[in-house]
Amino acid sequence: MNKKIISPSDASNIVRKSITKRRTRDNRLKLFGRIAIGLAVCFLLILFYSIFTKGYPGFFQYYVTLDIKFDRDRIDPKGDLSDNSLFDGEASKIVNESLYSIIQPKGRKEKKLAKKIVSSGKDVRIAKMVKNNPSLFGTTTSVKFALDDDVDSFLRGYIKRETPENERRISDKVIQFIDILNEEGRISYEFSDYVLSGSASGNPEMAGIKGAFIGSMLTLSVCLLIAFPLGVATAVYLEEIAKKNRITEFIEVNINNLAAVPSVVFGIMGLAIFISIFGMPRSIPLVGGMVLALMTLPTIIISSRAAIRAVPPSVRDAAYGIGASKIQVIFHHVIPLAMPGMLTGTIIGMAQALGETAPLLMIGMVAFIVDIPNSVLDPGTVLPVQIFMWADFAERMFIQKTSAAIIVLLGFLISMNALAVYLRKKLERRW
Amino acid sequence: MSNNNDLKSLDLTVGDVFAQNPRLKARNVSVFYGDNKAIDNVTIDIGNKEVISFIGPSGCGKSTFLRCFNRMNDTIDSCIVKGKITIDDENIYDKKIDVVPLRARIGMVFQKPNPFPKSIYDNVAYGPRIHGLSENKDHLDGIVEESLKRAGLWEEVSDRLDSAGTGLSGGQQQRLCIARAIAVSPEVILMDEPCSALDPIATAKIEELIHELGNDYSIVIVTHSMQQAARVSKRTAYFHLGKLIEVGRTKDIFTRPQHHQTEAYISGKIG
Amino acid sequence: MFSFYLLIGILLISFVFFFLGNNQAKILANSNQKKLHSLKHYYGLYSLLASLIPTLGIFFTITICDDFLFAELIKKYIPNEVINSKDYNFTIVLAQINNSVEGLIFGTPPEWVTNAAEIWKSWVIKSNIITAVVCAITIFVSGFFSLKKIKFEFRSRNAVEKIVTSILAVSSIIAILTTIAIIFSVVFESIRFFALIPYDEFLFGTVWNPQFEGAERAGSGQEGLSQYGAIPLFVGTFLISIIALCVSVPVGLFSAIYLSEYATTKERAFFKPLLEILAGIPTVVYGFFAALTVAPFLRSTGSIFGLDVASESALAAGLVMGIMIIPFISSLSDDVINAVPQSLRDAGYGLGSTKNETVMKIVLPAALPGVVASIILAVSRAVGETMIVVMAAGLAANLTANPLEAVTTVTSQIVTILVGDQEFESAKTLSAFALALTLIIITLAMNFYALHIVKKYREQYE
Repeated sequence: MNKKIISPSDASNIVRKSITKRRTRDNRLKLFGRIAIGLAVCFLLILFYSIFTKGYPGFFQYYVTLDIKFDRDRIDPKGDLSDNSLFDGEASKIVNESLYSIIQPKGRKEKKLAKKIVSSGKDVRIAKMVKNNPSLFGTTTSVKFALDDDVDSFLRGYIKRETPENERRISDKVIQFIDILNEEGRISYEFSDYVLSGSASGNPEMAGIKGAFIGSMLTLSVCLLIAFPLGVATAVYLEEIAKKNRITEFIEVNINNLAAVPSVVFGIMGLAIFISIFGMPRSIPLVGGMVLALMTLPTIIISSRAAIRAVPPSVRDAAYGIGASKIQVIFHHVIPLAMPGMLTGTIIGMAQALGETAPLLMIGMVAFIVDIPNSVLDPGTVLPVQIFMWADFAERMFIQKTSAAIIVLLGFLISMNALAVYLRKKLERRW
Repeated sequence: MSNNNDLKSLDLTVGDVFAQNPRLKARNVSVFYGDNKAIDNVTIDIGNKEVISFIGPSGCGKSTFLRCFNRMNDTIDSCIVKGKITIDDENIYDKKIDVVPLRARIGMVFQKPNPFPKSIYDNVAYGPRIHGLSENKDHLDGIVEESLKRAGLWEEVSDRLDSAGTGLSGGQQQRLCIARAIAVSPEVILMDEPCSALDPIATAKIEELIHELGNDYSIVIVTHSMQQAARVSKRTAYFHLGKLIEVGRTKDIFTRPQHHQTEAYISGKIG
Repeated sequence: MFSFYLLIGILLISFVFFFLGNNQAKILANSNQKKLHSLKHYYGLYSLLASLIPTLGIFFTITICDDFLFAELIKKYIPNEVINSKDYNFTIVLAQINNSVEGLIFGTPPEWVTNAAEIWKSWVIKSNIITAVVCAITIFVSGFFSLKKIKFEFRSRNAVEKIVTSILAVSSIIAILTTIAIIFSVVFESIRFFALIPYDEFLFGTVWNPQFEGAERAGSGQEGLSQYGAIPLFVGTFLISIIALCVSVPVGLFSAIYLSEYATTKERAFFKPLLEILAGIPTVVYGFFAALTVAPFLRSTGSIFGLDVASESALAAGLVMGIMIIPFISSLSDDVINAVPQSLRDAGYGLGSTKNETVMKIVLPAALPGVVASIILAVSRAVGETMIVVMAAGLAANLTANPLEAVTTVTSQIVTILVGDQEFESAKTLSAFALALTLIIITLAMNFYALHIVKKYREQYE
């Protein structure tokens, strides 16, 4: 045996000596892997924890119960329950009077402070109540009113009594008033009826996500109606009908490029083309849906193509063998068999579209919209944009409501993804 | 005579399972894939510096049994090995045994050549590097050269050691894999149908190589081809449906098989 | 509203033709010995499509074009003194007229606006009548001719299928149209920008301070108050991306290695989807998390160590972006690592490698092109990311390499400039398009490069 190559016994010895070091290195890599996954899961948990702890209280608010005299002449002077009449009425004053009777403010300054304790939406609440139930007139009923957001923050403990008065957002007098109300047991902590049914508002205690939510639904519907048929049609054409030539290659390259373009750019395109050139109004779900549809199109096309390719050639061969035409094979056999895959791809695409913010900012769905949009042509906003706008506001209650809105958004996303996974598992075929 | 044969076919292997100075001893080895029994109670010795072939029809478990010797079956989750296989009187399936030094002593060449996507040099040098077998660069160069020479590849590639191993022809790739296995100084080389993916000329070259290598290493070769077994090995073991039916000198197995099943396989009635 | 009803009417009439077509086919079938070429409903479909498609084409063309036409024609009705006035802006005037047309009246608009609005309204009525008439003629004529065509030898199924094929082909063109639209909108406005601000100032200038024309004029009135040097933006984007990579590459890569080589099936089934969740969280949520949890945390931790961490630091945005990108790297790398054939691993184990040696010296080098490609794709994502940086990083351009300071990025500036008032004439608005163009070029280049790497090295172990 040549000196250069080692004898087996020597080799064995060398190997045995090196083993422990090598095993340690092996275990180290395994450990790094576990740490990495652990870190990623940690991040996820911290994120969810932080959102949840901030958001859960956002679903609740503090309310004050006051006894209101539903005096028709004062609330509805014209007597016809019209908006004009209610606007001229003195609902606010009645509420204030009820409040004063309990906390007894002295002098104009104190009365002014007292007025601010109850949320400024008090007259709207009274108006809604009498419209829904005119039999309230003539009665004295207890009504729960939301408290102003500073008062709410105080009650939650974020504004502390101990801080000196000039550093606090509410004055000592107001704290006194709150104590009185508390002693009478008139303050309660309840599930907020604003968060889910209210709309955007400058006042955090009245802010809600209903408008944004409906806007999101409208926008997504437009997106789905445009993107799904177009996506499926394109996928079918590219996979089944088009010959493999330079043109189809070009289309494929285009689609892959579009999938890589940042979402902002789609918004810019929407701004420049739909709004500037076509002159469509800004901020409407129709335009938003169109922009999102173009953004989601590549995703749907790519997953639909994969679904179509997964249909085995034997099915097509069988259909052709019976004498079906190409279009018949496609519509009677291929599409139904590929539909589960196409649907899951679409659901995932819709979930992505639901969470998109930047492109919709570009086309102007940022306006402060108080009314709930009734159609795709009414100005509206979407949930992620609402979250973005609220995130700028410093009031504590906005932080909580924003987190609550995020919880709602994540809830929808999780259900959509869960639906996609469920569909995929249930409709999975073993060819 | 037929009575005798029937008795023997029940559970005893015919022929010489044992060897003088065995390198590896397998005793009552059974292998299960889940509930499926792939190898049933096999006992056999692998002798020192001999070439032994495992033959038998497809699916009879030859490759599975081969892979037991270097514990490659460990990579398959559902595989359970019972029985003992010892090298130097140590049971390789003992919990205390580290599989790494074992595989340095018992090398393997696979059915389809699988050189690493690295240069020819790096392919051969890989083993010595990870095991720390060379003291310096010159030593490593020497090991690489010697291994390639023993694998009969040196002349063809000495001027392009830095080119990709995957750029060689099928036969050359397999010889590269053999060189790679040799470079870690094994005592036994296991070969799992090493020529089945190669053309006849490359096959011939490798068969010649195996014959030579038998002077320095114990080689166990699984083969589909009886002719190949006849050409390269001194001893042959015939497997059928997971059982070891007969072991003996290759000449004897092919001219005077003792077991009727061996005889049936050799004459082409089954397989 | 009128358009909507007209559309419904068109659809209904086309359905009528569907039934007429079916009927015609039935009559033919009954009066002949042999069977018709196609099934009955294909004849109806043919009539429906033949009548509907041309009519829809005309309907949409007129509806879209008439607004442009009116805008041009109404110019005649704007009094000269308004046109010649200093602040004349056609877009605003047009908006005034449109408001008046729709009845949105605040206070008393000038008389000419109300007049113009009246004229516009009359045009709308005329246009509606014309559209209705033309559509009616088209639909009846084409429908009638389609019925005539239904003779015995007519292969209507083939005709219908040809129409369907064309419809499918047209939909695939939409993808190209979108690309063209994007290129067109961005390039066109960028060219206008570069007409105002030279390339080299944009690409190599180090001060980014865009102002609106109005501010410039009203303010100090100095020339060249606005500066459009984009280097601070590039550096900001780069800085945040690097920080993001520092988080995502180690975590993503090691996770991928563990999941594909060491994990049990149960572990893999549990943790892989968990990592995917990170990719599904909307970026606005990440931005919120970065701005309201991570940034204050960094700030207070920093002050413990005596470091001054800005409340909108690059570090905060970068860290959160890194978290978001983890699944891009882990998922893609996992796929690539799994694609390495088992035979290579077997060869490694057969030689006596430990798992670590097999992975680091055989599998990873073989998978390296794919891993590198996944990193490039992740960077491309980071560069194009908007919400996290808008919410957590700063808005003031700051040329620095210090992650504790506030920086701004290309995407952040695009959003800041285009959200809110825009004048398409001012350099500030146009600069956003120039930025968008740079962004597209960079992200597409990175994607091409990543694909190229994968293709080039794919043959290695085939």
